[in-house]
Amino acid sequence: MPDRKIIGIDIGGTFTDFVSYDAATGTIENWKNLTTPSEPIEGVLQGLGQVEDVASVDKIRLGTTIATNALLTRRGAKVAYVTTTGFRDVPFIQRGDRRSHYDITWIKTKPLMKRADTYEIGGRFSAKGELVTALDEAAVRELAATIKADGTIEAIAVCTLFSYIDPSHEQRIRNILAEELPGMPISISYEVLPKWKEYDRASTTIADAYLKPIVSDNFHRMQKRLDAIGIGDRIGVIKSNGGESTLKGAAEAPVQMTLSGPTGAVVATRVLSELTGIKNLVTFDMGGTSTDCSTVVDGMEHVTTSFEIEWGLPIQIPMIDIHTIGAGGGSIAWIDKGGMLRMGPQSAGAAPGPACYGRGGENATVTDANVVLGRINPDYFLGGKMKLDAEAAHRAVKKIADQLGLEVDAAAFAMVQIANNNMLGALRAVLLQRGLDPRDFSLVASGGAGPVHICDLMDISGIPQGIVPNYPGQFSAFGFIMTDARVDRHRTVQQISKYFDGARATAAMTELVDGAIAELVSQGYQQKVEIYRSIEARYFGQNHELELSFPANQFTEETIASLWERFHEEHQNRFGFSIPGETIETVNLKVVAVAVSEKPQMRELEKGEGTPASSGSRKVRFEDGWHEVKTYDRGTFKQGQTVTGPAIVEENASVTILQPQQTLRVDRLGNLIISA
Amino acid sequence: MDFVTMNILESSMVSLCKEMGIVLMKTSYSTIFNEALDFTCGLADMNGDMIAVADYCPAQIGGMPLLVKSCLKEIPIDEIEEGDVILHNDPYRGGLHTPEHTFFKPIFVDGEIMGFAVAIGHIAEVGGMAPGGFCGEATEIFQEGLRIPPVKIKKRGKDNIEVWKLLLANVRTPRVNYGDLRALIAAVDLGEKQMTQIYKKYGKEKIKETVNDLLLYSERRMRAELELIPDGIYAFSDTIESDGIDADRTYTVAVEVHKRGGEIIVDYHGSSPQASGPINATLGVATSAAYNAVLHMTDPTIPRNSGCFRPIRVMAPPGTIVNVDFPAPEVGGNTETHPRIVGTILGAMAPAIPNRVMAAEGATHCNFVFGGVDADTGEYFACYDLEAVGWGGRAFADGNDGVDSINGNCRITPVEVYETRFPWRIESLAFNVDAGGAGEYRGGVGYSKQMLCLNDEIICSQMTDRHLLAPWGLNGGTEGGVGATLVMKNGREDWQTMREAYGKASTSRYSNVSIRRGDRVRLVTPGGGGYGEPAKRDPAAVAEDVREGYVSKAAAQKHYGYQEA
Repeated sequence: MPDRKIIGIDIGGTFTDFVSYDAATGTIENWKNLTTPSEPIEGVLQGLGQVEDVASVDKIRLGTTIATNALLTRRGAKVAYVTTTGFRDVPFIQRGDRRSHYDITWIKTKPLMKRADTYEIGGRFSAKGELVTALDEAAVRELAATIKADGTIEAIAVCTLFSYIDPSHEQRIRNILAEELPGMPISISYEVLPKWKEYDRASTTIADAYLKPIVSDNFHRMQKRLDAIGIGDRIGVIKSNGGESTLKGAAEAPVQMTLSGPTGAVVATRVLSELTGIKNLVTFDMGGTSTDCSTVVDGMEHVTTSFEIEWGLPIQIPMIDIHTIGAGGGSIAWIDKGGMLRMGPQSAGAAPGPACYGRGGENATVTDANVVLGRINPDYFLGGKMKLDAEAAHRAVKKIADQLGLEVDAAAFAMVQIANNNMLGALRAVLLQRGLDPRDFSLVASGGAGPVHICDLMDISGIPQGIVPNYPGQFSAFGFIMTDARVDRHRTVQQISKYFDGARATAAMTELVDGAIAELVSQGYQQKVEIYRSIEARYFGQNHELELSFPANQFTEETIASLWERFHEEHQNRFGFSIPGETIETVNLKVVAVAVSEKPQMRELEKGEGTPASSGSRKVRFEDGWHEVKTYDRGTFKQGQTVTGPAIVEENASVTILQPQQTLRVDRLGNLIISA
Repeated sequence: MDFVTMNILESSMVSLCKEMGIVLMKTSYSTIFNEALDFTCGLADMNGDMIAVADYCPAQIGGMPLLVKSCLKEIPIDEIEEGDVILHNDPYRGGLHTPEHTFFKPIFVDGEIMGFAVAIGHIAEVGGMAPGGFCGEATEIFQEGLRIPPVKIKKRGKDNIEVWKLLLANVRTPRVNYGDLRALIAAVDLGEKQMTQIYKKYGKEKIKETVNDLLLYSERRMRAELELIPDGIYAFSDTIESDGIDADRTYTVAVEVHKRGGEIIVDYHGSSPQASGPINATLGVATSAAYNAVLHMTDPTIPRNSGCFRPIRVMAPPGTIVNVDFPAPEVGGNTETHPRIVGTILGAMAPAIPNRVMAAEGATHCNFVFGGVDADTGEYFACYDLEAVGWGGRAFADGNDGVDSINGNCRITPVEVYETRFPWRIESLAFNVDAGGAGEYRGGVGYSKQMLCLNDEIICSQMTDRHLLAPWGLNGGTEGGVGATLVMKNGREDWQTMREAYGKASTSRYSNVSIRRGDRVRLVTPGGGGYGEPAKRDPAAVAEDVREGYVSKAAAQKHYGYQEA
C-alpha cells in the first residue's frame, strides 16, 4: 500500500516546520509553530493538531536535533572505553595537530569520556590480520566486575587495533560484557565504522556509545506519545545520510543521528534534480545565524566521512556533506583594527536580533543592510507577519558608514558584498576544494535569506544558473516527504592491483550488501531495494582515495581491469595528472542501500505566457545605484512566464532579488529558474 | 583603499592556497605529506613577496618570502617562461633544510609575468648519509642529501628529463619521491591556473594595486598590535644540550628583543658559534622563527603576507647557530632550533605580555627517521615521522598534552597506517605520568611510543632534543619532563640509551644505528614547563589530575601538598 498521506517535520532551533502531502488531492501544505526545546515532541504534537484525522496519515518523517544537541552541549552518557593493551591514550593524544597556527590561547579538545574510565585488554592482530596475542578473556570478565562495582558507567565503547581486518576480539569482548552486564549499551568499532585509522574509529565509536542512552530514552518517550494518538507505527526519523530509519533502528546506532534536520534541504535538492533534469546542484540554505552548503552531483548527494563534532573530534560515519559557516542574516558588521569592514562571525541571533527587528538590537546586521538597500520590504517580512523598523536599520548602518566615511547606502552595499564573500567561501569549500567547477552547477537557494542573496552569489561565484524552489522557507521538511529509507556501509579491505584477489573483494562486497539489505528488512522496509556500490582507491603509497562506482558484487577480470583504467582517468581529471603503470591500492568498499518509497507527485502549474502582472514597485540599490524596481507576488505565477531584472519576487517566507540583466523563468512545477 | 575588493581578493587567494594544499595532501606519497601535512602553499608577487598563504606548516610560512627572493636572484625573471616550474631545496640559497623542497610556477597574464604559485613540502628521503634525511651526526651539508639550486624541473610545460633523472638517481626511494614531486607540481599547476583567472577577472592593474594595499593593511594591523606591547628591551636565553658530535658541549640560543612603538627587533647576539653537528639554523630559519614568535603573540587574524613581517627586524651574527656559514650541516636547525628560538623569544616577552606566552614546550619533533629493504616486497622504504610533545603552562590554562611543537602543525601517523606501511609493530602509545611541569597551570605531558622491529634490519637516525636539559617553567612553575630514546636489544631485558647501546656521542642525535629483528625502540617525548607557583594551583585541578592519571599521588603530594580525600 503506497503512502497516500505523508508529513515531513523539521524540529529547528526556533521553529518546527511542517510540510504535508495528500495524494488524494495532490495538495502540499506547509506551516510552522514554535519549537518546544525542553520536550520537542510537544511542539510536534501541537503542529500535528492542525491535521484533520491524524490517524489516517501513512507516514511521518521527523528531523531531530536530539543527538546533535547532546554532542554539542556534552550531555551524553558516562562512557567506559575499552581498547588494546598499550593504547588507552589514543583518544587523548588524537592526531597531535592544533586547531590553528599562532593561537597560544588554544585549549586542546577533550574526548567524550574520562581517562579514568579507559580500560586495556590484552589481545592483538598484526597489520596483515595475523593473530599476535590471543584475547585475554579473563581480563574482560574482570573488567565487567570493575564496571559493575563502579556503578556509574552508562555505556561502553570498544575499539581494538586492526578490528577492521579481524573483528573477532571486539565481538568476543562485546559478548562477554553483554553476558556479565545485562542491559548495558555497548558499541563496538567494527559495527560502528569498520575502517582503518584507530583514532577516527575510536572517536566515532565513543560518540555512538555516548549517545545511546539519551537517544534511546528520548525516542522511547516519543514513541509512547505517538502511540497514544495512534500513529506510532508510522514514524521514521531522518539520519545523517538523509535517509529514513525506524526509531528503534536509529536508537541502536545513534551516531547515525548526528546530523538530521539540515539533510532535508539536500534531499529536497536531489529530488529537484530528478524533477527538473538538472544534474549538478549546489545548495545555499541561508538562515539567521548560519548558512549550509552542499552538493548534488549527477543526481546524487555528496556523502562525507570527515565530520567533526568540534575541532579534532571526528565522527566518520557517512553523512551528507554539509558545510556550515556562521554567517547569516544576523551577522554583525564591525570595523577591525586595520580599518577593514568585517561581517560576523558574531550574530545578533533571534534575540535581540537585527536592529530592524526593534527588539533592542543596535548592531548593524546583514538583514539591516538589506532593508536599507530596499531589498527586504519592512512591511512584508515573513509575509507581513512581522513589521520591520527601517529607521532603526538606517541608524545602525549609519554608525558603520560614519566609521568608513561612506554614505549609508554605500556602506550597506559594502556590508552585503562582504557577507556574500563570506558565503562564497562556503561555496568554494564544497565546489572548488572538492575539484568541482562552479560553471557546471546551478545554485539552489533556501532558508529565509537564501533567495535574497542568490543572484549576488551567482554573480561572484560564476555559477550560471540559480533556482528558488517551492517552499524555500520549509525546504528541509519538504525534503523529508521525498526521502527513502537508506543504509550506508563502508569497510576497509586493502589490496593492491599487482596481487588483487577478486574472490576476497567479492566476498567482502557481498557481505556489505547483504548486511545493508538485512538492516533495512529488519526495520520492516519491504519495498524494492536499490544498491549503489563504490570503491575507494589510490596510487599505492598515497594516503587519500578517489571514489569509483562499481557495478556488482562480483569482481571479474573485466570489471577489475576497467576499475584500474577508470582510476587513472579519474586521477587525471581530478588532479591534472596520472601515473600510468603505477600500482593502485583499493582501500574501502562502500555500499548504499535504498528502500525506495513512492514519491509525492508534484502538481504542475497552470500554463501562462509573457510576464506576470506586477504587484507594485519600490526603490532598490544595486551596484550601479538606485533603481525603481517592480515587485511580483510569486503566488500569481504561471508556468512558462518570465521576469527580467531588476525585479523583486515576494512570497510568504522569503523574497528573491533579481539583478539587472538577469532573467527568471517559472518552470512547470513553479520553481523559479534564474539565468545570469 | 578599496576594502571590499581587498577583502574578497584576500579570501579568494587564501582559499586558492588551501585548494593547492588539498591536491598536495591527496596525491602525495610520503606520510610526512599526506598524514602529517608538513607543507605550505602560497602565492607571491613578481618581487617574491608573499601575498597569500594557507595555514599548513608555520616553519615554512615564515621562510617563504626569502626563499622565492633568493631564487629570483639566481634565475633572472626574464629567463622565466610560461609553463616553467622551478625547483629548489638549497639551505644556503635561502632554503630551510634539504628535505624542504620549494616549487614555484610563474603566473603569466597576456605574456607578462605577474607573480608565482608556490608550494613547499618536506620530502622524506633526500639521499645523503642516512635514510630519511635527518643524520644526527652530519658534519657537512653534503651529508644531508642532494642540494638542488634553483633549476627548472619543467620547461615551457614539459618535463625537464635531465633534472628528473638526476633527482631520482640520488635518493633511496625513487618511486615514492616521484609521486611526491608530481604532487608538488600538481599543486603549483592548480595555483597558477586559478590565479591567472583571478587576474583576468579583476585586471592586472586592479590586482597590483589591491595587493599593494593588502600588504599595507597587514603591516598596519601588525604595527597596531605591536604598539599594544610595552616598549622595552627584553632578554632571555636557553641551552641546547648537544650537537651530536661533541658530547660535552652545550649551545646557547640568546635573544634580545627591542620593542619600540610599532616595531620590533629580534637580536640574536650572544648565541653560540655554529656547531659541528646539524643543529645550526640558516638565516632563513632564524628569520622565520622570529616571525613565528611574533605571530604567536599578536592577533592571529592578521592576513599572513610579507606586509605583516615589515615591522619585524632580525639581527643574526654570521657564523653562529642562528646564522650558519657554508658548508656546515643544518637539518635540525629547521625542526629543533626553530622552536627553541620561538620559545626563547616568548620567554623574553613574558614580563611584558604574560597572557600571550607560555612556559617552554617540548620544542622537538622527535625526528626519528629510518629506512631499509622490506623483506616481503624487496622495495626500499624510508620514513620521516614526527611525534607530539607537551605544551608549556600559560597564565590562564594548563599546557596542552601531546601537541606538535610550535613551528609545525603536523599530525602524528596513526598506528594502523604506520604498521601497514613499515615493518614495525607499535606496542604502546601512552602519556608520560608526571611529565608536565608543576605550576598554578601545569605543563602538558608528552608520550612514549614503543616499537618492535619486524624486519631483518632497519637503519635508524634521529635528531631530537631535551633528553638532558628539561623544558623550563615560568614565574615559579617547575621544569617539564625530559624526553628519551631507548633501545632494548633482542634477548636483553634492559633499556639502553643510544650512547650506551651503540657508543653514540649523544643520546638525542645520532645516525645509522642498525636495529635488528626483535629489537625494541622506545621514543619518549618531553613535557612542557609549568606556569606560576604550584601552591596556587586550584586543589580541584590537582585532584582531577590525580584521578585522571596525569599526576601521580606522590608527585601531587610533593608539589601541591595533595592529600587523598
